[in-house]
Amino acid sequence: MRVTLLIAWREYLENVKTKGFWIGVLLVPIVFFIIFHVSSRLATATPTRYYLLVDQSGQYADSVESAIRREHQRRVMLDFMRYLQENRDETDSVVAISNQPANQMDELLDNFGNDDVAALDDWLSNGGLAFALQMARPYLRADTPDFEEPRPQFVAAVPPPGLDFNASPEQIVETLRPFLNGEQRLQAGDNQVSLFALILIPADVDSDIVRPAPVPTGMADDTTPQGVQYWAGNLTDTRLSNAIQTSINNAIRQQEYTQRNIDVDAVRDVQRTRLPVSRLDPGKVAGDEQVSLADTFRQWAPMGFVYLIFISLMQSVQYLLSNTIEEKSNRIIEVLLASVTPGELMMGKLLGIGATGITTIVAWLVSFFVFIRLYQTVETAMIVQILDVLLSSDLIPYFVFYYVCCYALYAGIFLAIGSLCNTLKEAQSLMMPLMMVLVVPILTMSFVAQDPNGSLARVMSWIPLFTPFTMMNRAAAQPPMFDVVGTTILLVVSTIAVLWLSGRVFRQGILRTGQPPRILELWRMLRKRTT
Amino acid sequence: MSSAVLSLTNVSKRYGDFTAVNRINLSIPKGSVYGFLGPNGAGKTTTIRMILDIIRPDEGQIEVLGCTSAMQVRNRIGYLPEEKGLYKKMKVWAIISYFATLKGMHRKDAKLRAFELLEQYGLKDFANATVDSLSKGMGQKVQVLSSIAHNPELVILDEPFSGLDPVNQEVLEQLIRDLKNNGQTVIFSTHIMQHAERLCERLLLITQGSKVFDGTVDEARAIIPRRVILECLDDVSALAGLDGVLSVCELPVSSEGRIPGTRQWELYVKEQTNPQMILQHCFHNSISLSRFDFTQTSLHDVFVHLVGQEAREHNFR
Repeated sequence: MRVTLLIAWREYLENVKTKGFWIGVLLVPIVFFIIFHVSSRLATATPTRYYLLVDQSGQYADSVESAIRREHQRRVMLDFMRYLQENRDETDSVVAISNQPANQMDELLDNFGNDDVAALDDWLSNGGLAFALQMARPYLRADTPDFEEPRPQFVAAVPPPGLDFNASPEQIVETLRPFLNGEQRLQAGDNQVSLFALILIPADVDSDIVRPAPVPTGMADDTTPQGVQYWAGNLTDTRLSNAIQTSINNAIRQQEYTQRNIDVDAVRDVQRTRLPVSRLDPGKVAGDEQVSLADTFRQWAPMGFVYLIFISLMQSVQYLLSNTIEEKSNRIIEVLLASVTPGELMMGKLLGIGATGITTIVAWLVSFFVFIRLYQTVETAMIVQILDVLLSSDLIPYFVFYYVCCYALYAGIFLAIGSLCNTLKEAQSLMMPLMMVLVVPILTMSFVAQDPNGSLARVMSWIPLFTPFTMMNRAAAQPPMFDVVGTTILLVVSTIAVLWLSGRVFRQGILRTGQPPRILELWRMLRKRTT
Repeated sequence: MSSAVLSLTNVSKRYGDFTAVNRINLSIPKGSVYGFLGPNGAGKTTTIRMILDIIRPDEGQIEVLGCTSAMQVRNRIGYLPEEKGLYKKMKVWAIISYFATLKGMHRKDAKLRAFELLEQYGLKDFANATVDSLSKGMGQKVQVLSSIAHNPELVILDEPFSGLDPVNQEVLEQLIRDLKNNGQTVIFSTHIMQHAERLCERLLLITQGSKVFDGTVDEARAIIPRRVILECLDDVSALAGLDGVLSVCELPVSSEGRIPGTRQWELYVKEQTNPQMILQHCFHNSISLSRFDFTQTSLHDVFVHLVGQEAREHNFR
């Protein structure tokens, strides 16, 4: 036991001293921080987009402009809410955050008609925002910075000279094509800017209105653009096109109501009528069955743990292989084997490298906690609450158990592979099939999470190589007791068996030189009795 | 033998059809320096690995320090394998101390001992260097030190001299003598006969897995008759009739350092023969000698005599 610990300790120190270990430990929090930081900044940092609106029909310009204003107001309101949350005086009231203010705000804004948006716009620009700020001031911390209204993201561009608004749509598009392609730039104040989108509403656009018909007319054959034309080189930013579509359709429907003599106000009231759907969980205690955000998170959290197991395992595997192969190719192994038994050597390696893996995970978690404590935003405050839920749940013991089993199971196999190879190159070809196996639980992870007690999940749970991943994934969904106990026994038994067999291969493989053995030879190794 | 630290009885090891070691018997007394000699592939390393219980013999018994397995007494044995290797990223003192702790030494004592050894054998300045900054020879010295740091009763060194320059070979010879003076038993394998000649009390000579000789250096020398080289202008084949001379034969002509026109003769004589007698005979018969050379049989000659033919065949197979 003493030498096992000595080997483990040396193995641990050696790994912890490598650059690769520190890169692994530091890279994950850094990448996490950057993604978090950048994604929250990116929302405000999106460049101003310049659009050109050509409304030859003369009916929809207002709708489009109001849609764009509404898009802007949505951002102002959201930023304002976030500003309030971040600068709130009392820190313990963050509980309310998980009520998802963002969604409520969306709802509120969607309920506004176009006129309402314009009114809101006016209200805010005429000091409404300042008034709201003044109202909020007593509740904000003393050192709160001033609220900065976000810049409008979509700005109407000055049309290039020589653009004839009354020309045919084709001509207009031809004139503007170099601007849309980025070949030419528009003048905006002192700056040259590129044209993001052209919204072209032809004069005869109303003839393209699609109305429900008893018999579907089928797909139109001609490929000429119909209705409102939205020209933009950027296909991924669909906010503007979506807003315009919604807003123009709203305008058309208003017209329809009027034409059919339907009371517009009544329709709006009807549209704003809603019945909430409460999501309830039968597994929870009576009176507390409401599914909260934390519950939903708890259901998805196991996937995070599965990833953690996987990443940590990948890291450990590298150490196991490279350290074993170093000892083999340097022939240090022979000195070691004169001092320790192969079994002690193997156990020492397993323990030492296992400790390295755990150190990495702990380092990640610690940096994660430090990060969310130091960097307080609405999102991190929410993560804190969710973590509190998570830490008090039974997922942690599951994670510890499956982590240990998974590590022992795979590490045993990889150590045996390492003992058979003299170079990393040889090892990689032997590792390939096992890597394929390891990818399976990751690929099926989201299916299992969606249907934790379905047949796929159940079948995979009973395959020991997948058990730790699949059962971890199912842990939050109260899998049947039969599955839990049965797979656990099977997993433990097969882990012990794999370690025992790996020990045999290790003992014989470790002094081998030359090519890795063929399957038949390997089979002989497993069967050969060595005392 | 009660004082034997190591005894092998009919030990054999086979790999498939190939017999690596064939029924070797051996007994090594305590406190001796014992040489394992043999050509490449003779089975020296396999024998050593079996002694250390790294591999198991297919038959026969091995007794090490009174136990049937070296594993039971592993802390009392030091081992330097044939192929040398160390952890590249470890510091020199740390690696010596690590191997010593694996052999049961206390961590602090092991560290002190590592520095003591490094100072004693001229590596003090490298104590804090990492192994990959050392030259091959220095690395090998470090490895030798790490195999003896725990003061083992039995030290087994597999080809300890290979790769060392002459100065360090002398340092290593001194180290082996120090161990012997300390009462430790040393077994080393080599195919450089001079080391064996200078250091060993007893030798084991194996070839193709079988023992061909086991005994003292003097006994080894006695295997081949003593030799006298004569150089003269005459035919001296008549010397074969002398009592104590076993054979006389003329050596092929080689110009090296020879007076032109002389012939060179090789005489094998009995162990107790006085070579003075041949000199006298030549004097009486007016044979004028330009060279009279009577040398001790070297271990090299014994080695070539015993395994030469086989080793050559083996190498060119």
